[in-house]
Amino acid sequence: MKISELILSQQLAKICGSKKITNNPEILKEYSTDMSFFMGEVPKFVIWPSKTQEILKILKLANQMNFYIIPVSSSSKLKQHGDTVPRKDNCVIINLSKMNKIISLDKKNRVVMIEPGVTFRDLIPKLKQKGLRLLLPLYPTGTKSVLTSALEREPIVIPRYHWDSSDPLLCTEVVFGTGDLFRTGTAAGPGTISQQRKAGQAQLNPMGPTQFSPFRVIQGAQGSLGVVTWATLKLELIPTIQKVFHYQSNNIEELLNFQKQLAKYRLCDETFILNNLNLASLVRNTSEEIENLAKSLLKWNMIFIISGRGDLAEDKLDYLEGDINDLIRESNLVHLEKSDLINSDVILRCVNESTSKPWRTRYKGYYQDLFFLSNFENISNYILMVESNYSEDLGIYIQPINQGTSYHCEFDYFYDPNNDIKLNEIKRKFSEISIDLMDSGAFFNRPYGYWAKEMYSRHIEQTSIALKKIKRIFDPNNVLNPGVLCFDD
Amino acid sequence: MLKKQILEQFQNLVGPENIDDSEVMTNAYAYNWCMELVNCMEEKEPIPFSPIPKAIILPSSVEEVQQIVKLCNKYHIQFKAQSTGLGPWNQPSSENCIILDLRRMNKIVKIDDKNLYAVVEPYVSGAQLQAETMKYDLTVHMPGAGPQVSPLASATSMNGPGFTSPHTGHSARNVLGVEWVLPDGEILRLGSTGLKNHPDWFSGDGPGPSLRGIMRGWAGAKSGIGVFTKVAFKLFPYPCSTKFKLKGISPNYEFEIPDFMKLYVMDCKNYKYLEKVFLAVEEEEISFICSHLSGYGLGAIFSNSIESLMDKIPIASTHAPLVIVIAARTSREFEYKQKVMNKIMAEFKLENIIGTKYTPNSLFYAEALRSNLGLHGFIATGGFQSSKGQCDSAPLCLNTTKMSIPLKKKYIKKGVIANDFGEGVWMTSYESGHYFHVESPTLFDQTTEKSVKGMAENMEENYQFDLIKHLGAPFFVEGDRMHDKFGPHMMDYHKWLRKIKKAFDPNGIADSGFYISAK
Repeated sequence: MKISELILSQQLAKICGSKKITNNPEILKEYSTDMSFFMGEVPKFVIWPSKTQEILKILKLANQMNFYIIPVSSSSKLKQHGDTVPRKDNCVIINLSKMNKIISLDKKNRVVMIEPGVTFRDLIPKLKQKGLRLLLPLYPTGTKSVLTSALEREPIVIPRYHWDSSDPLLCTEVVFGTGDLFRTGTAAGPGTISQQRKAGQAQLNPMGPTQFSPFRVIQGAQGSLGVVTWATLKLELIPTIQKVFHYQSNNIEELLNFQKQLAKYRLCDETFILNNLNLASLVRNTSEEIENLAKSLLKWNMIFIISGRGDLAEDKLDYLEGDINDLIRESNLVHLEKSDLINSDVILRCVNESTSKPWRTRYKGYYQDLFFLSNFENISNYILMVESNYSEDLGIYIQPINQGTSYHCEFDYFYDPNNDIKLNEIKRKFSEISIDLMDSGAFFNRPYGYWAKEMYSRHIEQTSIALKKIKRIFDPNNVLNPGVLCFDD
Repeated sequence: MLKKQILEQFQNLVGPENIDDSEVMTNAYAYNWCMELVNCMEEKEPIPFSPIPKAIILPSSVEEVQQIVKLCNKYHIQFKAQSTGLGPWNQPSSENCIILDLRRMNKIVKIDDKNLYAVVEPYVSGAQLQAETMKYDLTVHMPGAGPQVSPLASATSMNGPGFTSPHTGHSARNVLGVEWVLPDGEILRLGSTGLKNHPDWFSGDGPGPSLRGIMRGWAGAKSGIGVFTKVAFKLFPYPCSTKFKLKGISPNYEFEIPDFMKLYVMDCKNYKYLEKVFLAVEEEEISFICSHLSGYGLGAIFSNSIESLMDKIPIASTHAPLVIVIAARTSREFEYKQKVMNKIMAEFKLENIIGTKYTPNSLFYAEALRSNLGLHGFIATGGFQSSKGQCDSAPLCLNTTKMSIPLKKKYIKKGVIANDFGEGVWMTSYESGHYFHVESPTLFDQTTEKSVKGMAENMEENYQFDLIKHLGAPFFVEGDRMHDKFGPHMMDYHKWLRKIKKAFDPNGIADSGFYISAK
C-alpha cells in the first residue's frame, strides 16, 4: 500500500472503525464490474458506514484528501447498468447495506421511511403484515435496495398510481458532495423530524423546501450529487381481491390501444405488455420451461389486474369488469384473445413480491437491458427497429408510466456469458441500435454507462451546462461518482 | 421610462405597437390585487401599487422573449414576466424593471389525447383549455385561483392546489416538457422536449437529474428564475359526461346536472372525527372533490352575493363539514361510488346535508366541474388572502387549523378581519389522500388602512406561529426577508437557493422580489 493510501485507510478507519473497511483485492474486484457491458476501474477501498454522521465525515474527508466516493446501496452481486462501477482511479466505495433500518411505518398516512440498505426482500413482507404495499417495479430482485430503485426512477407497474415521474420517492435526507447534510421536501422543517412528527407531519410532500425541489436533481443523478441516507416512500393499501386478465394478440397496436383506454379511464391497477419470451421468463424458472411456454403464447401479451378492498371489493370488481367489457365491445378489438395459459397466482406473485434471482437471468443466465422512454405513437416503430437489428432471444417489455403519458420501452438481450462469439455480436448490435434509437427520438432519460455521452450530445447543449452548474453547487470538488452523466471533466 | 436608445432596441424586437413606457400604461400595470397587503408587510405605505415598471412589453414568441431578456442583461434592466397576471406576485420589486406581459402568447399548442397531455402558452386560461379537452373526454387540473388563470403559470411558477386535487393532483406534479428562457437569455428545454432529433413533450425529466427541481418547488419562483413560454402537463379523465348545458343569465345560470354526479356535505362535528372521515373517504379513491371548509366557507361556495350568503344558516352552522363530489362515467361506476359513500356514512353515523337540510342551485355543479369554487372567497368583503398554506398529512393540516383558531380570533376581536369564528380554512386532499393541503382564507377590507394593517399583522403572527410550532412552511415564503426568516429553521435551504439563483442569473436580471436574490 502506498503511503497516501495508508493514510487514507487510517483516516477512514477512524471514522467507521477498522473492521468496516477493506482493501481485500478479491472484494475490490467485485466492484470493478457488474452485469452490464460497462468496464471500469478497481476501487481502493470499500467502507461500510452505519450512520449518517459517518457519511458526513467521509465526504468531508474526500473533499480534503481528493479521493472519490461511489455510493452503493446493497451488497448484491447482481447490479446492472454500470452506474456504481468506478470510472476513475482513487475511488472509495461506500457500501450502505449496513444502513438497513425501516425507520418508521405509518399506515394512516400510507408512508414508510427507510434507509438505503433496506431491500425489497426485507420490506415487502413487513408492509404486508400491516396491510400495505409498495409501488413496485416488475418482479424486483429481493436483494435490490428499495431506495435505489426509487432514486433511479425505475418504472412501476401501476400507471394510475404513478402521479408524478418521481413516485414513489417522497422526502429524503441527503449528504451533498460538499459534506453538508440536507433534508428535502417537507422534511426540511421547520423543526427536526421528531418536532415535525409531534405537530402531525409525516414527511409526505416531496416538493420544496419552498421554491425549489432538490429531490428531483438527486433522483436520476446516479449518486453524483449526494448520498441519500433515508427516504420516505409512498405506499398503497393492499387489495382484498385481485383479478388477473391476460390478453394476447399478434398485433401489438391492438393491445396498445386497449391498454391506452384502460390507463386513460384508470380502470385497472397493474398493466404491462410483454412479448412471449419475456412473459415466459417472468413466470417460469428454467430455460426449457421458458421455451415451452413462449412457443404456446402469441407474440404479444398484455396483463392487467383489477382489484378491490374491504366489504365492497366484489362490487368494485363487478363495476370495473363491466365497464372494461363495454370498452372492448365499443373498441372493436377483434384480434384479442383472452388466455388462461398462466395461473393467476403466478402472475400475482410477479407484481406483489420479490424474486430471489433476477427474472431476466432465468433464460440464459445473463442479460443486457436496453431501455428508454417513448410516446405512444413511436412504440411499434422502435420495436421494429430493434428487432430488425437483432431479434434472437430478445425479451420485450412495454410499461405505461406517469398516468399513461409516456412508456418505458425495454429490450432484454438474453445471452450465455460463455459464448464469446455471441456475446461480442450482442455488444456490437446493442451499441449500434442504441445510437440509432437515440437518433430516432427514443429518450434515454436514464443514461447509464456508454449511453450518457451519446445521449447528452443529442440533447440541447443548455442541458449539460445547467447540470454542470448544479454539480458545482452540490459537489464542487467532483468527489461523488465522477464521470457519470455529463460530469466527465 | 426607458432611455430612447434602449426603447428603440426593444421596439425593433417586438414592433413599436407592442411596447409602451408611457406614464398611463406603466402606472396601470403597477396595480394588482393584494399589493397593499404586500406593501404593508414590507413596512411600506399600504397602497395597492408596486414600484412602477419602466415599460410594458408584449412578446409573441420564445425568440422574442429570449432577445428581450438578452437586452435586459445588456442594459442591466430587470424583468418580471406575467401570464394572466392575478396577484402581487406579478409585480416588479424595483423601478428598474420592465414587465413582460405574455398575453400575445395565447395558443393551445397541442392536445394529445393519445399521450394524455396538453401543451400551452402562458396566456391560455384553464377555462379555455378545459373547453377544448372536454372534446376528448379529458379535463385539466386547475388551481384554486380559478379557471380564469393561466395553467402554465400554475404549473411552472406559482402554487398548485385545486378543488379537484383528489382527482387531478397538484400543478407542479403534473408537469411534463417545458420551454424555459433562463435569466441569461439562453433557452432550456426539459426532458424529451430538449432532444435535438424529434423533440416531443411527453417527459420533463432528464436525461439524468430532473431540472424541474430547479424550476420550482412546492411554490414556484414567480419569474425569479426566468420566463416559461410553453409547458406540457397531464390531462385527466373527465369525471362524468361532457355534455354541459347551461341556460339563463350570469351569474344565475341554470345547469343541467350530469346523470352521474352527486354532492355530499357531512358535518363531522369536530376535527378528530373529520380526520377519520376524510382519510376513510380518500382511501376509497372515489372523490372528484374532497374538501373541508369552515361553516362560513361552506355557505360561501353556495352563494353568489352577500344576500344569498345570509340564507345559508343551516349549512353555515356546521362545525367540521366535509364536502365531497363524486362523479362517474357509467351507471355501474356511479352505483359503486354511492355504495361506498353510504357505507362510510353508516359507519361514521353521518348524514348528507344535501337533499335533506339544503339543496344547492344547479350552478354549484357547473362550478365544481369548472373549478370555480375559490372565487366565492371574494363575496363577503371583496378581498381575501390566505395565511398558512401547509402541505403534508391530514393530521398536520387539522392541527394547524385547530391551533390557529385563537390567533385568528384575536384579530377578529380587533375588528380588522371578518368573523369566521377563527375556523376559516380550505383543506383538500391530493392524489386520493396521499397528502393534504390547508390554507386559511382570511377576509379583510382592502379599502381601509386599519383592516389592511391588521391583516398584515395577522399574517406575520401566523408565520411566526407556524415556525415556532413546527407546523410546516406556509405558501408565501418568498422574497429575501421570508427566506432569511425560515431558512435557518429549515436546513439553511436559503443558502442553497441563493447559489442556484447566482448560478442561473449571474446578473440578477430576473426580478427576485418574490423569489430570492443572490445577495
